[in-house]
Amino acid sequence: MEIRTDSTSLDIDRHEGNLIKELRSSSTKPVTEPSGWLSEDLKRNIFLTTVDNVLNWGRKSSLWTETAFTACCTFEFISLSSSRFDIARFGMEVLRSSPRHADLIITAGTLTWKMAPQIKRVYEQMAEPKWVIAMGACGITGGIFADSYSVVPGYNRILPIDVYIPGCPPRPEALLAGIELLRKKVEKRSFLQG
Amino acid sequence: MPELITVGAAISPNLPWSDWQFGFWIHLLIFGIGIISLLLGSVIIFIWLERRLVGRFQRRLGPNRAGPLGLLQSVADVIKILTKEDIVPSRADKLIFWIAPIVAFTPVVLMLAVVPVADGALLADLNIGILFVIAISSITALGVFMAGWASYNKYSILSAMRTVAQLVSYEMPLILSMVGVVIIAGSLSLNDIVKTQTVPFIVLQPAGFFIFFIASLAEINRTPFDLLEADSELVAGYNIEYSGMKFATFYLTEYCEAIVLSTLAATIFLGGWQGPWLPPIVWLLLKIGIVFCFIVWIRSTLPRLRIDQVMGFAWKFLLPLAILNIFVTSIFVALWPETPAWLMGLTNLAILVAYILFWSKLFKPGGKAVAV
Amino acid sequence: MLSEFSLIALFILIVMGFATTLVLIPQALKKIGIVPSKPSEVKYEPYECGLETIGETWVQFKIRYYFYALLLITLDITVIFLYPWAVELKNLGSSSLGVIFSFIGILAVGYIYAWRKGALEWK
Ligand code: SF4
Repeated sequence: MEIRTDSTSLDIDRHEGNLIKELRSSSTKPVTEPSGWLSEDLKRNIFLTTVDNVLNWGRKSSLWTETAFTACCTFEFISLSSSRFDIARFGMEVLRSSPRHADLIITAGTLTWKMAPQIKRVYEQMAEPKWVIAMGACGITGGIFADSYSVVPGYNRILPIDVYIPGCPPRPEALLAGIELLRKKVEKRSFLQG
Repeated sequence: MPELITVGAAISPNLPWSDWQFGFWIHLLIFGIGIISLLLGSVIIFIWLERRLVGRFQRRLGPNRAGPLGLLQSVADVIKILTKEDIVPSRADKLIFWIAPIVAFTPVVLMLAVVPVADGALLADLNIGILFVIAISSITALGVFMAGWASYNKYSILSAMRTVAQLVSYEMPLILSMVGVVIIAGSLSLNDIVKTQTVPFIVLQPAGFFIFFIASLAEINRTPFDLLEADSELVAGYNIEYSGMKFATFYLTEYCEAIVLSTLAATIFLGGWQGPWLPPIVWLLLKIGIVFCFIVWIRSTLPRLRIDQVMGFAWKFLLPLAILNIFVTSIFVALWPETPAWLMGLTNLAILVAYILFWSKLFKPGGKAVAV
Repeated sequence: MLSEFSLIALFILIVMGFATTLVLIPQALKKIGIVPSKPSEVKYEPYECGLETIGETWVQFKIRYYFYALLLITLDITVIFLYPWAVELKNLGSSSLGVIFSFIGILAVGYIYAWRKGALEWK
């Protein structure tokens, strides 16, 4: 790994601009969804052994969320984690700020191209296994900002998304339903998938 | 060295295996495995308890999906974290990165070696028990600093710096708060200290308990002193780069420390295993549970302090109070050995209250950074 | 006495062995594929909130608690002298009070000096 040593703010700005340009040109198409990555014969042979059951039960019951929230949808997430909707019932109230400890990114909010490299980097630095929930219209397609020059039209341009939750913003109930779906998805994993 | 393996030399005659043939090894095995498994078991229960309690304090339910009442929540966490990818950053100092969790975890468990669970039932009845605990407890800071330094991460180094500063600062009041108890008990062995407590020392030494409790809150980095976990400022503390089981070991260390310090508080100030009717170990566990719940209560009530406040509090408030406590206690014990317990306790309490009142006069509410 | 410390020494070994196995379990699980491993270059870089790190990390910088550490060393070592006194206070009686109080008094002078000099400020 090379250590960057650029010191002037101009250097830093230029580097960032290049990063964004690169990411933008390389992500014109949505990333394929994770299940699509399964090789064909693995797909036909998914066997849920006891090991898998135990692992998946553990993983689905303690999905720790990374605090990487970008815009207004976050407030619905905050509402979900406080008393009325209480995400802690599923063991999810542990918010970790470091991607090394987290299992799940809930992409709450509009993503601008300026922020995109950071989010992508956070995702890449998360420890396997990891999941992503795209929350809100902005998370799915860019929402009301879809035509804007500065907004990423949907997180699936840069991250593989597991569950989409529509709404602007989605109500906490919708988010809960999304989390339920994700838990179902986690249950169907096989550890052979890596 | 024939003396080293003398059968039963170090073991209290109260224990059934004290005169068996391989008593020494049986003793080591029973207590070694017993302490570790009891500690891990209580960590699993207490993590669940804490999350449920915090939930209740915030009018939520807390974890209730995994297993009955959510009891298996921490088991699920363990399974998940055990099977998480293991990341070692490429620029990290690999060797130190690997041994830091071990260095942090080992001393915490060691502290339990001198805590009695019944009369004479402890791993090693050191006659310098409290000194041993103090000496061992400061090694954890080393592990924390190694973790922060080896990660090659700017935030983790800053966080480790803060942690060490905090641990170093609160060690003084922690050490001094126990001197009062030692003066009254006249022994450093925890077994003797428990045996002398016909009245729990919290009655005789309210100020001592106050200092001990606050200082140990700071030592285990709990709210209101959880500065190193201040995720809004320092990402995630000294263990940013740790994932999987190595991270879990740090997590475990923190909880074990909370439990060990609850144990010490229960042993030194609350009468340890003493109590009517129930078997001694049940009393000890009960008292540990109560102290732990109290810690959780404080966690969900108080906000976090600023770093300069934390430092100032240790050096300018707790340290003088601890020395004052030693003064008063030693004068009582040396000059009037026959002082009734209630008088001693009341004087101690009065001094504590007067000190807090006097001190609060120095602060302006709503003022800016306090300079005393 | 010594055999008690031998118990402690053996216990240290047990606990260290336990902690080491704890840390090494995932390595064993990795072999049979339960613990996933997908190395990539970005993953092994330091995490700094999604930004690349700029400049060396292991540089010299100001340790703010330098004075605290100094104070701790002096006070800590001297305070350890209080423990033998505290254990024996009942036998020593009131005559030892004057000695130890003047000892603490000397410490207090240093403490007040440090306070006045501003060594107890976090800045
Ligand atoms: S979907 Fe609506 S609420 Fe959510 S980030 Fe976009 S504009 Fe905000």
